[in-house]
Amino acid sequence: MMLVQRLAVVAALAFVSAEASAHHAFAAEFDVNRPLELSGTVTKVELINPHSWIHITVAGEGGETTDWMIEGGSPNSLYRRGITKDSVPIGSELKVVGYQARDGTNRAVGRTITFADGRSLFFNSTPVAGPE
Amino acid sequence: MTRLTLTSRLFVLGLIAAPLAAMAQNGKSDREVPRTAAGQPDLSGHWTSATIVPLERPVELGNKELYTQEEADKLLAESLVVTETEAGTAADVHYQLDDFGLDRSQNPIALNLRTSIITDPRNGRMPASTAAAKAAADARAARARERGFDSAQDRPLAERCIVWPNEGPPMLPVGYNSNLQIAQTDDYVVVLLEMIHDARVIPVDGRAGLPAGVPQWLGSSRGRWEGDTLVVETTNFTGRTGVRGGNVLSANARVTERLTRTRDDTVLYQFTVDDPETWTEPWSGEYPLTKIDGPMFEYACHEGNYGLANNLSGARAEERAAAEAAEKQ
Repeated sequence: MMLVQRLAVVAALAFVSAEASAHHAFAAEFDVNRPLELSGTVTKVELINPHSWIHITVAGEGGETTDWMIEGGSPNSLYRRGITKDSVPIGSELKVVGYQARDGTNRAVGRTITFADGRSLFFNSTPVAGPE
Repeated sequence: MTRLTLTSRLFVLGLIAAPLAAMAQNGKSDREVPRTAAGQPDLSGHWTSATIVPLERPVELGNKELYTQEEADKLLAESLVVTETEAGTAADVHYQLDDFGLDRSQNPIALNLRTSIITDPRNGRMPASTAAAKAAADARAARARERGFDSAQDRPLAERCIVWPNEGPPMLPVGYNSNLQIAQTDDYVVVLLEMIHDARVIPVDGRAGLPAGVPQWLGSSRGRWEGDTLVVETTNFTGRTGVRGGNVLSANARVTERLTRTRDDTVLYQFTVDDPETWTEPWSGEYPLTKIDGPMFEYACHEGNYGLANNLSGARAEERAAAEAAEKQ
């Protein structure tokens, strides 16, 4: 007997526990004691392996700007879903919550990265009411 | 700004039950499978090994090899629960997992009822390490603690984009991009592993393996057809490639893999690791490879591997800070 049972696609907003065996130890690259929150404008998107990097410019209160690099994950699954670096257009306003690099440079891991209005970058995990 | 409306986040391909193993016995399928012009079973295509089945069986399950359908459904449901990490903990220092598609909710999963990938020993767990292997693993761990950030050469092979433990052989599912492509001619089978960018070129024309003393990161593989099963024997390991649990395959390890196309959309992958320098007995396992749509995407690991340099610069910064603190005392 051969059981061929197809499971229906499950709920749209299901999340799976994180079991990603990351390419490298993030706790070695970023400092848990340097949490940060940034709001900035996208200047460059590198959807590259082993990890993506999104570059943003953050404006200070005095009008000065600071460039930051925010690390993300492997883009292969994104490509497979039809997502490209154009999905986060240059000039987009982003909010980043994460941790700064251990060496004190302007690099951070984006624990959460969203558009300024709270939407996820690539997946609509936070449903937004209203028309497209 | 384009709003993305991807409505479904979970792809579950097929639930393949216990008869999977029975079908592969003696290299027989229960129905005709696709064949090449030469009559070989056609293994070519894109496949995923992504799974929620662990390599080792939870201890509390003892010798229970298979879940019931009900138990498997419950396990799948549980695996969909959000695991939030606590801010300010090391576990929280990670990129946004759901957005970057590194979890199982956005990728196809090849499900089956097994409680572990390992099928032998009967308890579904890796056998005991030899005393020499334990000592070597302890020495590696000690060196990593003491000198793990001294130079790029002190970082793990995976972080250096050289080879990942999932590549094997034995090939094992990996946390993300757990995909492979098989290409096949009369004389060769090539397995292209998405993680991390390696192609295993396996002659099946009867030629001898590489001579002893010519190590390869993924070993030297030679294949042959036994009935409808491709059997691949691999030797000539480096003694440096990792296997889960802290061990490495010794240079003298022998791995036997068996690939059987049991259905249009399934290749059963079985393996045995025989490495008496590392484990006190051989161990075996199996899992289904399930067909997915192509193409494969290149995992050009070196291309943006800033993390390697960042880890080292982080360590240097901390050394400077420690030195400055010591001077002030």
